[in-house]
Amino acid sequence: MNLPDTSLGAVATDTAGHTELQACAIAARQQCRPQLLLDFIPYSSFIGAQAKISDGIVLYWLEPRRSNIGNPTLPAIHGGVIGGFLELSASIELLYNFGLNTLPKTIDFSLDYLRPGHYQTLYASCRILRKGNQLVNASITAWQIDVDLPVATARCHFLIN
Amino acid sequence: MRFDLKTALYRPVLKMAMEQVGHGRQLGFTITKVARGRVSLSYPYDTNAVGNPITGAVHGGVIVSLLDTCCGAAAMNVTGQLSLAPTIDLRLDYMHPARPNAPIFVSGTAYKTTSAVIFCRGTAWQDDQENPIAHCVATFMRLRIGSGEQLSGVFKRGIKRVFLWR
Repeated sequence: MNLPDTSLGAVATDTAGHTELQACAIAARQQCRPQLLLDFIPYSSFIGAQAKISDGIVLYWLEPRRSNIGNPTLPAIHGGVIGGFLELSASIELLYNFGLNTLPKTIDFSLDYLRPGHYQTLYASCRILRKGNQLVNASITAWQIDVDLPVATARCHFLIN
Repeated sequence: MRFDLKTALYRPVLKMAMEQVGHGRQLGFTITKVARGRVSLSYPYDTNAVGNPITGAVHGGVIVSLLDTCCGAAAMNVTGQLSLAPTIDLRLDYMHPARPNAPIFVSGTAYKTTSAVIFCRGTAWQDDQENPIAHCVATFMRLRIGSGEQLSGVFKRGIKRVFLWR
């Protein structure tokens, strides 16, 4: 059964939202503030994701929050929060550094958990391995205290345009 | 299906641990079904978790969280003993974006258990389970409680922590 894809129709008609996002992306690049793009997406504040420029790359981070806890016995950050955070980082990276003016669509997302995400700040950085006309392959790594001891690593495909 | 006493006993514990703690509480889903190695939940639409403010679709991260929760809960009770099951990896395929203002239903199944690993798959859908939003496969470590430690002790500590982190 094929249902009509209502959201695609909404994208085509909602030009105001698109113009707003485009303006936001341009402002973020000009002011070197990727945080502006995060502020555009409600999910960022839902998990508390933040971003800044550090040593020429965009550094994303997630402050420890009780509402992000998944396993209270350790305590550890919820695996889904880590996944959502990494996926969000990759889409912001595309908007900020790769000239995209529309939100990319995630096709698939593969996440490997390497260590438990403890109740402390989680950092992430993103590498776009390939950006084609339609497809983007992104690799994202998350760590806490030591960049060489990653908490999780993710691989993600996006559809753009 | 035969009545499963152990699953019936674990159901409220699992339900509370998933719904009332940390991110589960923030998401606000309801666990609708707990069977051995099979867990379902329903998630109401929440404007705070929107990933695309232009269309109003929830963020993919929410789908990741819901599927991780469902598969994780299925892995936790598959052996008939509630145990911790850390995620090894999770892979998600997005078929289409979630329609705004409509609930999302998620189901996770642990389809194979070996001595060390639990293999799970999960689906998230809205109107039709045959036309899912996303499909996922996930693997979990099968942890065994150390011989020196009683299961009740683990439970007690777990429940205490659950209250602490609510």
